[in-house]
Amino acid sequence: MRFVLNGGATAIPEDMAEDRLLWVLRDHFALNGPKYGCGIGACGACTIHLDGMAERACLLAAKDVEGRVVTTLEGLGSGAVGGLHPVQQAWIEAAVPQCGYCQNGQIMAAAALLNEDAAATPAEIAAVMDGVICRCGTQTRIAAAIGRAQRKMSAPT
Amino acid sequence: MALSRRSILKGLGWATAGLVVTAGGAYGVSRRLALPYRGAPTSADASAWLRLTPEGLIEIVMPRAELGQGIAVSFRQVVAEETGFPLERIRALLPRTDLLPPARATVGSDSVRDFAPLLASAAAALAAVLKRAGVVDGKAPPAGFDALAASPRLIDAAAIGKAVPVSLKPGAKWMVGTEPPTDAICAIVTGNEQLYADDVRLPGMVFGAVLRSPRLGATLSSVDDAKARTLPGYLGLHRLGEAVLVAAQSRSALERVLAALTSKWSGGLSDDANLGLAIDIDHGLSQGVLEHVRSDARFTETEAFDLDLRFEVPLAAHACMEPRTAVARFDEGGRLEVWTGTQDVTFVRAALAQHLGLSRDLVTVIGCRVGGGFGGKTLCNVELEAALLARALGCPVKVQWTRLDEFREAFHRPPSSHRIRARLASDGTLDCWHHAFRSGHVMFTSAAMGPVLQFATSFVGDPGVLRGAIPPYAVARSRVEFEDVRLPVHTGPWRGLGAGPNIWAVETAIDQLARLRNEDPIAFRKRLVAPQWPRLGRALDRVAALAGWPALRSSPTRGYGVACGVYKEMSYAAVVAEVTREGERMRVTRLWCAHDCGLMLNPGQVRAQVEGNLVWGIGMALHESLTLAEGTLAQTSFADYPLPRFSDVPEMTIELIDEGEAPTGAAETAIVAAAPAITNAIAAMTGRPVLELPWRPDRYSGCNAFQTRFLNP
Repeated sequence: MRFVLNGGATAIPEDMAEDRLLWVLRDHFALNGPKYGCGIGACGACTIHLDGMAERACLLAAKDVEGRVVTTLEGLGSGAVGGLHPVQQAWIEAAVPQCGYCQNGQIMAAAALLNEDAAATPAEIAAVMDGVICRCGTQTRIAAAIGRAQRKMSAPT
Repeated sequence: MALSRRSILKGLGWATAGLVVTAGGAYGVSRRLALPYRGAPTSADASAWLRLTPEGLIEIVMPRAELGQGIAVSFRQVVAEETGFPLERIRALLPRTDLLPPARATVGSDSVRDFAPLLASAAAALAAVLKRAGVVDGKAPPAGFDALAASPRLIDAAAIGKAVPVSLKPGAKWMVGTEPPTDAICAIVTGNEQLYADDVRLPGMVFGAVLRSPRLGATLSSVDDAKARTLPGYLGLHRLGEAVLVAAQSRSALERVLAALTSKWSGGLSDDANLGLAIDIDHGLSQGVLEHVRSDARFTETEAFDLDLRFEVPLAAHACMEPRTAVARFDEGGRLEVWTGTQDVTFVRAALAQHLGLSRDLVTVIGCRVGGGFGGKTLCNVELEAALLARALGCPVKVQWTRLDEFREAFHRPPSSHRIRARLASDGTLDCWHHAFRSGHVMFTSAAMGPVLQFATSFVGDPGVLRGAIPPYAVARSRVEFEDVRLPVHTGPWRGLGAGPNIWAVETAIDQLARLRNEDPIAFRKRLVAPQWPRLGRALDRVAALAGWPALRSSPTRGYGVACGVYKEMSYAAVVAEVTREGERMRVTRLWCAHDCGLMLNPGQVRAQVEGNLVWGIGMALHESLTLAEGTLAQTSFADYPLPRFSDVPEMTIELIDEGEAPTGAAETAIVAAAPAITNAIAAMTGRPVLELPWRPDRYSGCNAFQTRFLNP
């Protein structure tokens, strides 16, 4: 099953067709970005981009990505200045992470939203970010980082 | 891997049924009992914390785990301050037992207070060594760093004892007090490095899981793996000690295998198990004096109290985002290496050695970044599961608990039940204070202790249950008594230990007393704060100014509440909360916090800890509760255990007080004031105190509605 992973064409062995995409990404492709948090799509730690849309890798089977474009945290900044997406840059500037485990989901969810509409409203941001759990309590810094990223992404380049 | 399999194992006759693979032989148990290491760090320990590499980097062998509290960067700042090396030339290696002398668990907010001073002394001693060797401003002497790096110990205990560090004293500094971000922040936001235990991937590694009972404490009667044996990647069932483990070549195969196994269980917790009854404070008091008495005024039967309230705190989960995970590998010489995100590598090594019958020097535990700990990753469980399977299978094994495992098999904050009675003197001082409470265990937990230790510790009150129960207010006659109750669920330390529930109850009662006197709750507290806590009074002043307290007016739809607390007699917080009614629910809409942990190594990390504690206060006050159903925990996932979400977290205004006092700790302080400030805001809005956590719209409790059922003899 061919698909594009972080900008490169690759394939998943046929015998993994029914496997959870999260395990295929973490164990077969050795990617650290998407994390296991709950396995039922309730926490968002495993968020990836599928054709640019935020999706939960724990709810997808490997066969679901055939012929499609998958981006993980590792590939999010490819092509961007310094190899970091503006959301990733903002995350560093706002010193968001504590333990860091959920931050893949926070960043991927925010990046998908802002890629679609850098001027997303606070209500739109809350609707998306409410779906990604952080236990350490970094929500106020996430909000600050999203604001920073919005300014970066809406500034004329 | 040739594994023999048969279809059905029954009861205790499994070993003879031949299905269980026990490669690696009998499981001898070491006579050396594994107990958590409690020793304070010494100069001798500290001599092993610092090393120099041939490239001229200083390496800190961290004696504390990195859980997201930013201790790695904070310790690097201390070493930079003392040695003059730039931060990027100082590297923190997470705790690992092959490099680190035994160190106690990373718990109790003690890393800065108890470890940073020794680290500063060690770094000062190292600075002297480097200076003598001709290192100036981190630049190599003519001979380079090779000779220095080759020295097995650059500093010794005597030099550390004599060193005069500068970094923890008040005064101008160039690195301590600045705010570099947490270590590994680039790896966290890009995924481009191994950080967590689940990022460890070894050649030939397979995956394991434990067969879980549908009820707590149930015994496996039989398991049928006929269907599982038809599945690719299945590596068999393994009875190892008390546990039955399953292994498979991949995580997807493992999930299919687990779904295909049919198991029968007997016994376990009954449907009618009731934690509320077990800890019922009024039942305890009706039996007479509680087991442990900490301040022992006695009140007569005829005494009347101005206030008599009963409080209920539920079981609550740590809900760390990272489920516990370990990777274990045996080498051909029988040496075991384990990678794990734990708060206590020293204990995990001791426990592995004991349970596997190995000497400790054959076991290396390599600490990974911990994806949230909060007191919950202090035992040895997933590590032993991985190690047992690795020995049985002869290949590296990763075991990662599922979210369901985390809810059902981990230990939780115990439920507690409190009664507080108080009387004011005519001059408005506190004449009588009686706080009685019953709680599940915190430190003397059945999750960590066998029956013998449980019995031995039953004569001593659990200090984790007691934490925070002595009020910081002057009282003429005070009685604080409690009982730790052995519950049928695993309980243990949760952020703040007993201080969260105890200070919540104390601060709710104090607020009600202020209301009874029609006195401003901040002025009331300020008037009553005992003389030994001037910093608490200062925190109250600061939060009042920060929030503009005198101008805040509660209404039926918006309430303002205050609370404060002292954590471990070392750190102070005062919080003001604004809560807004939104239909049937309450939303925290502003939080102000004044926080005092003395000198700060990295105010940015302290601020992050305060933010996290405030969010935990929201969860404690409005969201979190675990319940029992059908003999196990009813909550199985984040879908039915609500945590504060993005839009539940309001704007926060935080003042960090640092006016020359010695450094203490920040990781568990603000929570003790945050939850009661929120519920006191609800009380200010509704006129009724919140007596049960979490607040729910359908459960108003009336003030003074409870009969006083007991009096002391």
